[in-house]
Amino acid sequence: MVSVLLIDDDAELSKLLEEYLQSEQFQLEAAHDGPSGLAKAISNQYAAVILDVMLPGMSGLDVLKQLRQKSAVPVLMLTARGSELDRILGLELGADDYLPKPFNPRELVARLRAVLRRTSAAASGGPAHPIHLADVELHPESRSVNCAGRAVSLTGAEFDLLNTFLRSPGKIISREDLTQAALGRPMSPMDRSIDVHVSNLRRKMGPYEGDQERIKAIRGSGYVYLLPGEQP
Amino acid sequence: MRFRSLFFKLFISFLLATVANLAVFSLIRWLAEAELLPVSSTRGAFSEALSLYSEAAIQAYKTQGLAGLQQFVGRSQRESGAEIYLFTDNLKLIDARPVPDSVSVVAREIAGQQQPGQRIARVFGGRVTWGKITIAPDGERFIFVVRFFLPSMRPPPPWQLSTSRIAGLVLTTGLVCYLLALYLTSPVKKLQSTVKAFAEGNLDARVSPGLGSRRDELADLGREFDHMAERISSLISSQKRLLADISHELRSPLARLSVALELARKSSNGKAAGPLDRIEQESERVNQLVGQLLALTRLESGAERVPPEVVSLEDLAQQIIDDADFEAKPLHREVRAVQLDHCRVKGSPELLRSAIENVVRNAVRYTAEGTAVEVSLISRLDAAVLKVRDHGPGIPESDLQHIFEPFYRVSEARERASGGAGLGLSIADRTVKLHGGAIRAENAADGLVVTIELPLAPAAAPVHPAPEKLQV
Repeated sequence: MVSVLLIDDDAELSKLLEEYLQSEQFQLEAAHDGPSGLAKAISNQYAAVILDVMLPGMSGLDVLKQLRQKSAVPVLMLTARGSELDRILGLELGADDYLPKPFNPRELVARLRAVLRRTSAAASGGPAHPIHLADVELHPESRSVNCAGRAVSLTGAEFDLLNTFLRSPGKIISREDLTQAALGRPMSPMDRSIDVHVSNLRRKMGPYEGDQERIKAIRGSGYVYLLPGEQP
Repeated sequence: MRFRSLFFKLFISFLLATVANLAVFSLIRWLAEAELLPVSSTRGAFSEALSLYSEAAIQAYKTQGLAGLQQFVGRSQRESGAEIYLFTDNLKLIDARPVPDSVSVVAREIAGQQQPGQRIARVFGGRVTWGKITIAPDGERFIFVVRFFLPSMRPPPPWQLSTSRIAGLVLTTGLVCYLLALYLTSPVKKLQSTVKAFAEGNLDARVSPGLGSRRDELADLGREFDHMAERISSLISSQKRLLADISHELRSPLARLSVALELARKSSNGKAAGPLDRIEQESERVNQLVGQLLALTRLESGAERVPPEVVSLEDLAQQIIDDADFEAKPLHREVRAVQLDHCRVKGSPELLRSAIENVVRNAVRYTAEGTAVEVSLISRLDAAVLKVRDHGPGIPESDLQHIFEPFYRVSEARERASGGAGLGLSIADRTVKLHGGAIRAENAADGLVVTIELPLAPAAAPVHPAPEKLQV
C-alpha cells in the first residue's frame, strides 16, 4: 500500500475516495483544512499529496508555497475547472501535476501513478551519468542542475523535462513526447500543463549569453532545445 | 486645450465678461472725471496762476486804461486761447462785448457769493469757466472771469491707455479668470477620470479623496457618485462570491458522484456497465453545463473584465487548431489553418481561447464526415478577422441571428445527437463583445461561416510579453 495524503475540505468526498483508492492499493489519509494538512504533509511520511486549491481558511496555493519550502513530496493539485490562474500558479509554485475538479477517479489514479513512477524512477537512478552540454551540467543522481556556473532549483517535472531536452538537443520534440517524459502520462487534448512547465524551465534557466533563446517553440510541432549559435 | 471643453468656455466667458465690465466702468469713470476735474482746479497752483493773471489784467486796466485792458485781452486770446472778461463790482463788463452765457452765470454766482474771494470753476460745453473777485491795489473790486479750453487736463480716454497697462490689465484678469475656471472645472475633470477608471473595471475608484474639503454642488455630485460606486462594487463582489459558491456547491456533489460511480462500477463487476457509462456521461454533461453557465453568467454580470494584455491571436488560433484537429481525427474530420496573419489584440488569452475554441468545436460537430473545418485569420486595417468555416448542413436563414442566444436550438434532433449544451456560441458572443469585437454567422455554399472580428491592439501599445503558456 502506498500512503497518500488528501487535503480537501469535503469530508464525504474524502471518505468515498479513501474507499476507492483502497481498492487501487493506495492508503489515503485525509486532512480537511490547510494548516493541519500542511503539518501532516511536512511530516514526510506520504508518497504523494493530493491538494485541493479551494480550501477554507488557508488557500491551497498558500499550503503549496509553504510545503515547498520544507518538502519535495510530489503534489497533485485539484483545481476548479476553468480556473486557469490557479492551475498556472500551482504549477509555478511547484505542483507536479494538476487535475480539474470534479475529476474522474480513474484519471486521478492514473495521474497519481504517473507522478509516483516518475519520482521513484528518479530515486532508483535511471540513467545515472551526468550530462554536460554547453553551459549546463545535469546530475541525475543528485537531481541537481548547474547553468552558467550557478545552481538552478527545478521542480521534479522541470528536471525531467530538461533531462529529456538535453538528451536530444537540436531536435524537435513533440508536446506529446514531452508530456510523457516529464509528467509520466500521455497528453490529453486541451492540456496546457507541458507549456507551463516549459515556460517555467525557460525562465529559470535564462537565455544563453548574448540573449540567445535556449528552448524554442515550433508552432504546431513542439519544442526544440537549441545549442549556442544554433538556429532551428 | 480643447476649444469645446467646459474649462475653455468658462475661461473665455469670464474673461470677456470681465474685460467688458472693465471697459464700461472705465468709460463711465472717464466721463465723470471729465466733469469733476476743473472743479478741483479752484485750488492749487493752477488757481494761483489764474489769480496772478487776473491781477495782471487789472493792472493793465489801471495803468493803461481801457486800451491797455483791450490789448491784454486780445493778446491773451491770441496766445493762449483764454477769453478774459473783467466786470465791475455791479456786474458791468468794462470793455463792452457780448458776454457768453457761461461767463455771465459764473460772474453772477461770484457776485452773489457769501464769502468773497472764493474761486469758482464750472464746465460748460467742454470749456472751463473760472472766476473770482479781484481787488485792485487802490481798493476797487472787480469780477474777473476767464473762459478757456483745457484739453490737456482731461484724463486720457481709456482707448488711449498705454499698451503695457492694457497688457497688465489683461494678464491680471486672465490669471484670475483662469484660476476661477480651473477651480470650477477641476472637480469635473476628477469626476470624469474616476468614472472612466470605474467603467474600465477599477471598482475601487472614488472621487472624494481628490475633492479635499470642497463643499459645493460639484462635491455633492462626487459624493453621490461614490455612493453609487460603493453600491455597484458591493453588488459585483457579492455576485462574484455567489458565482464562486455556486460553482463550489454544484461541483462538490458531482465530484462525489463520480467517485461513487467508480465504486459502483467496481462492485458490480461489469454487470451494469451500460447504465453506469450513461450515468458518467450525463454527469459529465451536467458538469460541462455548470461550467458554461458560470462562464456565461460571469461574462454577463460584468464581473469579468478585459485585462490590458496583448495576445498573439495567430499563436492562439494555431494552438486551438492543433488541439481541435487532434480531437477531430478519430471522428474522421479535420481542422486546418488556411491562412494565419500576424494579429495582436488586447484581451484575456483564456477568455479568447475559450471563445474561439467554442466556435471551432461547434464547427467540428457539424462538418460532414471526411471534410475539414477551415480556419483563417486575416489582419485588416484595424481589425483581426477570424473565420471558421465548416462543410455541414448550415443553418436556416431565419435562425442565423438567434444562434448566439443561450440554449437556442436550431433543430432538436440534430443538437441531441451532437451533444452540445447550447451555450458555447453564447459564451463566444459575450466574450467577443466584451473585447469590443463582433461575431456573426452566415451560410456559405455548403456549411456555415462564423466570423469573429476583434479590434487590433494599437501598434504602439506596450507589448506585454504574451503569456508564456501560449507559446507553442
